[in-house]
Amino acid sequence: MKAPGPVLHLAVALLRMFIKDRQAIFIGLLFPIIFLSALGFLRDRPPEGVEIGIVNHANSEAAASLQKILEDNALFEVSVDSEQVLRSRLEEGEATLVLIIPESFDDVASATELRVLVDAAQARLLDLILPTLRQALLEVEHTLRGSEPLFSLHIEDVQARTQRYLDFLLPGILAFTLMQISIAGSGFNLVEYRRKGVLKRLFVTPIRPAEFIASLCIARLVWCLLQLTMLLLFATWALDVQILGSYAALYLVIVLGTVLFLCLGFCVGSVAKTEAAVGAVGNLVIFPQMFLSGVFYPIEAMPDAIQPFANLLPLSYVSTSLREIASNGLALTDILPSLLGVLVWIAVSFGLATWLFDWKKVVTT
Amino acid sequence: MPIIAASHLVKRYPRPDKPGTTFAAVDDVSLQIEAGEIYGILGPNGAGKTTTLEMLEGLCDIDEGHAEVAGIDVSRDPYGVKALIGVQLQANEYFDHLSLIDLLRLFAGLYRPRRTDPAQLLALVNLQDKAKAHPASLSGGQLQRFSIACALVNEPKVLFLDEPTTGLDPQAKRKLWELVRRLNGEGTTIVLTTHNMEEAETLCQRIAIMAHGRIVAEDTPQQLILNHAAEPPSAPLHGNIEDVFLALTGHGLRD
Repeated sequence: MKAPGPVLHLAVALLRMFIKDRQAIFIGLLFPIIFLSALGFLRDRPPEGVEIGIVNHANSEAAASLQKILEDNALFEVSVDSEQVLRSRLEEGEATLVLIIPESFDDVASATELRVLVDAAQARLLDLILPTLRQALLEVEHTLRGSEPLFSLHIEDVQARTQRYLDFLLPGILAFTLMQISIAGSGFNLVEYRRKGVLKRLFVTPIRPAEFIASLCIARLVWCLLQLTMLLLFATWALDVQILGSYAALYLVIVLGTVLFLCLGFCVGSVAKTEAAVGAVGNLVIFPQMFLSGVFYPIEAMPDAIQPFANLLPLSYVSTSLREIASNGLALTDILPSLLGVLVWIAVSFGLATWLFDWKKVVTT
Repeated sequence: MPIIAASHLVKRYPRPDKPGTTFAAVDDVSLQIEAGEIYGILGPNGAGKTTTLEMLEGLCDIDEGHAEVAGIDVSRDPYGVKALIGVQLQANEYFDHLSLIDLLRLFAGLYRPRRTDPAQLLALVNLQDKAKAHPASLSGGQLQRFSIACALVNEPKVLFLDEPTTGLDPQAKRKLWELVRRLNGEGTTIVLTTHNMEEAETLCQRIAIMAHGRIVAEDTPQQLILNHAAEPPSAPLHGNIEDVFLALTGHGLRD
């Protein structure tokens, strides 16, 4: 068998180093897994019902049906008790609202007033509860009067699948993880090897700087694919996240994104001279994107003034592309604008990296 | 025909104290080294020894002058030269997470065709028990022997050693000299820098003494002592190379 060329040989050796670097694996893999599990758990828990109390003075059918309507509402956890008990629960902040149904509740002849005890401090919750309460009363009223409501709402679920927060989060986490691995991988390795003199030792041999860079990129690309595959497996098996689009399209975007951030990483590594500086400059690139690029929440949820800028960030294009494929099931042809954004950023960062990168400085000092 | 021929080498660096101006770290150095020689470059710190080696090794650009190693023009084909030579650098730093045998395999794989067996190389430098060890766990002498093993992965025609025994205890130093003599006996040309007088005197067949970027004397150790030691000429070989060194490079302290 023919021995592999120097580029592949070095790439394999570098890959072995990455695999032996347990700390990097911990940060690269466990971090996103913890993020996914914790955030997914927090956000996807079924909402707990709002506790409301009912004091039922009327022993009528109408009062019972009002009580039933409220009890059937998933939003509420209803407890029926005396006014005194419920009032103290309200004061302790355990109940949000206490509804007092008077004795005269089923009297159709005259208007009946229901007392509602509230804690005004929970204004936001009350805004949600009161319309439901009115709606319930209206329903009972219709039954009592024997009239049909003129208008009614028929609610139809058009979303074939319930979109969980995890489905939204996974592509963002994938994009964020590949950015971190790639930027740290290229920039940090470059400066680390240069500072330690490892690069000088390497360039004593006939390997060319471009071959070394190619090796580093290949090794990091394979590494990134391995880590993201493990993340994907974890998310689909353990967290039951669904990937709607094609895996081939997903992986194509992952490869493009990795190339993009490797180039950006080389820019960082060329500008920064020490590992500490790489950390600082790297964070300057990583952190704004972490919060502005739709990793944890949609860009549309951000202030209008920031959105146009946020949309232009490289991570935004990558995370949007991944999300359209993974959680919205779109094909590559449907996301051409985002893909184009990724490609433009690759061209820009590759140009910048080759312009900034000084071969001679890698070899000397 | 000499295996290394350098004429009028000059290397300039920017002066740190006066921006915009340069100084010559190596200033008009010419030397010829025969195949099979052990050639020593002796000089105080900052004399330009390492820079001279790096120009011959194709590691840094030659600003002026011309150098050929094994008939290959260093400036025109540095990678061709690198394929034929072995280089031990002053600083020994390697990739993390790799054992000695892994590192030797890594370096060996960068040459075409691949020549040596890493395990044999480790045995040659007496580190066969440390194959799975990491460089960080080696003693100074072991580390130096390992770095020589790394420089031998391509069976080089010329082996460059930059201060190979600096910082070693006498036992480790002598072991290393033994190794150098053995490699030389097998036909490898050896070029080394040192500021150890004993090393220059007993190991090297010819010595160049450098000061301020220039070669101030070049000859066999015996001849240098005859010509320069501050002893009466009637008592040949009464002085030693240290006397020659101090006579030629001055008594002042160097940084």
